[in-house]
This record gives sequence, structure tokens and C-alpha cells, in this order.
Amino acid sequence: MAEETTKLICCKCNKELEMIKTDFSYLGHTFFTELPRCPGCGNVYISEELVKSRISEVEMQLEDK
Amino acid sequence: MKINDMTVQKLPENTWSLCPVCLRKIRAERVHLGQKIILRKNCPEHGMYETTIWSGFQDMSEWIGTKEKPFEGVPPCPESCGLCGDHLRSTCCIIYNVTNRCNLNCSFCLAGDTIEHETSLEEICKSFFSFIEKGKTLLQLSGGEPTLRDDLPQIVQAAREAGARYVQLNSNGIRLGEDPAFVRSLAEAGLSFVFMQFDGTNDDIYNSIRGKKLLKIKQQAIENCAVCNIGVTLVPTLVRGINIGDIGNILRFAIAQSPKVRGVHFQPATYTGRIPSTPTASDRFTLDELIHEIQHQTEGTICADHLLPSACDHPLCGFHGDFIVNNNQIVSLLNRKNTNTASCCNDDASGKNREFVGRRWERPDPNKYESSCCSNNLSDMESFLKAARINGFTITAMAFQDAGNIDLARLRQCSLHVYDNGRTVPFCAYYLTAWKN
Repeated sequence: MAEETTKLICCKCNKELEMIKTDFSYLGHTFFTELPRCPGCGNVYISEELVKSRISEVEMQLEDK
Repeated sequence: MKINDMTVQKLPENTWSLCPVCLRKIRAERVHLGQKIILRKNCPEHGMYETTIWSGFQDMSEWIGTKEKPFEGVPPCPESCGLCGDHLRSTCCIIYNVTNRCNLNCSFCLAGDTIEHETSLEEICKSFFSFIEKGKTLLQLSGGEPTLRDDLPQIVQAAREAGARYVQLNSNGIRLGEDPAFVRSLAEAGLSFVFMQFDGTNDDIYNSIRGKKLLKIKQQAIENCAVCNIGVTLVPTLVRGINIGDIGNILRFAIAQSPKVRGVHFQPATYTGRIPSTPTASDRFTLDELIHEIQHQTEGTICADHLLPSACDHPLCGFHGDFIVNNNQIVSLLNRKNTNTASCCNDDASGKNREFVGRRWERPDPNKYESSCCSNNLSDMESFLKAARINGFTITAMAFQDAGNIDLARLRQCSLHVYDNGRTVPFCAYYLTAWKN
């Protein structure tokens, strides 16, 4: 996928990603958040910023010490 | 205790202990006796001694797993404590006793009856710079009752200036309840959180263990700390026949006080220092029985699978559970079935433990999170993160050792250390006292 300044385009389907409520699971817990998803193939785009911030914090909160 | 040999099965693990009378180092065995597991040892001078170390509510071998390192030869503990080359854990929390004065005269007291002594503020500040590691150390100010020192805020400030990451106060809460200005000065000096003695939810319990009614003043202490955004963790000493039946009430009280109260840290009574008498076999309250009582008295809201063996100290020394309080309901983040505990003892177990407890016991800056958005739906990632930061809640336990049940395999895995004149001594070695024959 290629990122543009204002929109994200799926590099496989060439379709614009749409913000859609997306579930993800970790260590028996399931969460949802809005993520850009391709309406064609269903792939989601998770930015490096999101991975390094909130998703990383979710993992830290759920993992045993 | 009389033993029926037909019921006795040896566990694979042998260990080392001490004679409860002369503290001579002797071999010990953990053996099944019916459902229970006992520690059995035989001093050539003072004879056989046995004490219950596990009640059989869970499989002890499974609980310990692979987290115990077998001995190679005779261990150097405890005569080589401070920490020696054979010790398996670095320091997670370091205790500094700022006074041995106290305003209570409890039936159980680790510090025992000692001659009154107080190190000067100047000497304390000097020693802080000798052992505090910048941005890392979790310092517990203890005693005696530390709040009897009017210069405690200066001590807290000195610890911060020396670089302590967290400064914790161990207190009975009396002055914290009586003197809100003192609490404010502790907060301004940089106090991180309080461990407050809290044995139960009625005054009969305090009368029995502490010799006076204390419930009201402890509730006021929680309020005074809350005003200053200081997190309070409640610390019950559990004594059979006195407050075992109040475990569920203590938890419900604490949960209702979240986020002011950050958790409950249970401590089964240990028979060292000042004690009412040496324990009989039935006096012992083991970790697995505590877990059973937590599950039973909370009607399964908190269940055994939510509470995991210590990954930093020896599994027989403690357990921990990590929760969020949401709308006065408690939600567990951990589950033994989903948690890979095999890797926990590897790199920097003490450091991981320190960050875990610090993250939960310290209240976050209210200006940073309280005004942010979100619902009570913990499936929403943003709501979950906010709740985890603000309403995190721990249920932990630590089973200290005494002359009767000391197990050197546990001792050498201890990460709770006491600073004393340049030495850093594992907690249970520091406070160990011999029993009369």
C-alpha cells in the first residue's frame, strides 16, 4: 500500500482505504479500533506510529511482568 | 506433629533450611502428608521440626514449575548475606529503615523489640547517594513507623534528588490520617505511593492484632492521600482465627475505593521478630490456601487462574494478579491459561517486576488522563488504555519466611532487599530470629 498525504490507496486493488471498526485479539482479550481497510481485499493498514504507541501499550498492559 | 509414614511421599526436590532454634544450616525435604506438603528438617542438636508449606488446593509442583534452580553443593546462605555471587536476583525493591520508633505495639512485628535508634538526615542523604541507581531504584521507606519522623518529607526529597525512580512509604497510616498537611508535604517532596497496613474491615480485627481501633483513621488516610494523588495499596497481615474470614470484605472495600486504592498486598503472618507465640502446624496460612479463600470469598469473581506465581522471587514467596476496576467490577488482565510463564525468570526479572508494580501502584497525573474521552466499554482500545492507566488494580501476596519455614532455595531468589550500613540483605535473612526451644 502506498501512503499519500490525505488518503491511503491499496497497492493490490488500487482502491482507497476506508476507516472501519476492526477487531484484534491478544492473550485472550479482544479489542476494536478504527483502522483504514481496503474495501476490495480487506487488508488493513496499521501505521508504525500506532504500533509503537497504543498497540505496544496494549501489549504491555496485558503481558505478565 | 505425628507422621503416618504410609501417607508420606517424597517430592523430587530436596532443599536446605535452618534449625529454628540454633539457626544451624541443615538439609530439608518437602514431603506430602495427605493433601498437604510439609517442610521437614532434623537438627542433630534440637531434633525434628516440621511445618506446613502448602495446603493442597493446587498442585505445588505445577505452581513452582521450572522456576527453582537446584542447589550445587552447600548453599552459602544466609551467612554470606548481603548479596553474594550465588544470589540469583538483583534488587527489585530496597528497604531503608528510617526509624525503629513506633506508635503501635502490635502482637506481630517484624522489627521486634529493639533499642530506639534513628539515623540522622545527613547520614541518610549520604547513604542514598551510595546505593540509589538513577532512574531505576524503587526505595521503600520503612521502620518502625517512618511517619514519626518530622523530616520524612526531606528524606523523600533526598531520595528523589539521588535519582530514585519510585519512593514508597510503608506506614500504619495513623499520621497520614491525622495530619493532611504532612501528607501534602510528602506529595510535594515526591512520594510515589503508600503501602498501608490494613488488616480488615472491622475494629475487632485491629483490636486483636494492633491493640486499638484503627479503621476510621485508615479510611481518613486513604482520603488524605487521594487529595494529593498518592496511590495507596492496602497491606493486610493475615492471622488465622482473626481475619482470614475478612479477605473478601477487604477486597470489596479496596475495589470500591479504586482508583484511590491501587490494590491489596496480602501478607500471611510470619513468625519472626515480635510474635505472640511460635506457630503450631495449623497456624500456618499458605499461599494456595489464600488463593482458595480469595476465590471462595469473592464467589469466583476473582479466581485462582487470575493469580500467577511470582516470576521474580521464588514461586512459594508470592503471587500477583493484574486487574482493571470498571464500574465497581473487577476485570482480570492475566490468566494462567493464556500466559507464558516459562520465560519470566530470564533477563532482568527484578527490573520487570519493579516496572509492573510501579506502573500499577502509582497514580497517573490526573491532568493527563482524567479529562480524556471514552466509554466504559473495555473492548474499545482507547477506553481500555485509559482504564488500565487510571483504574489498574493489583492483588498480590508475599509470604515472608521465619525460622520455622525458611527455605534457602527461596531465600537465594529474593529480590526484596534491606539496606543496612552498606550491605544489601535479602529481606527474610535480615529479619530472621531464632525461636526458643
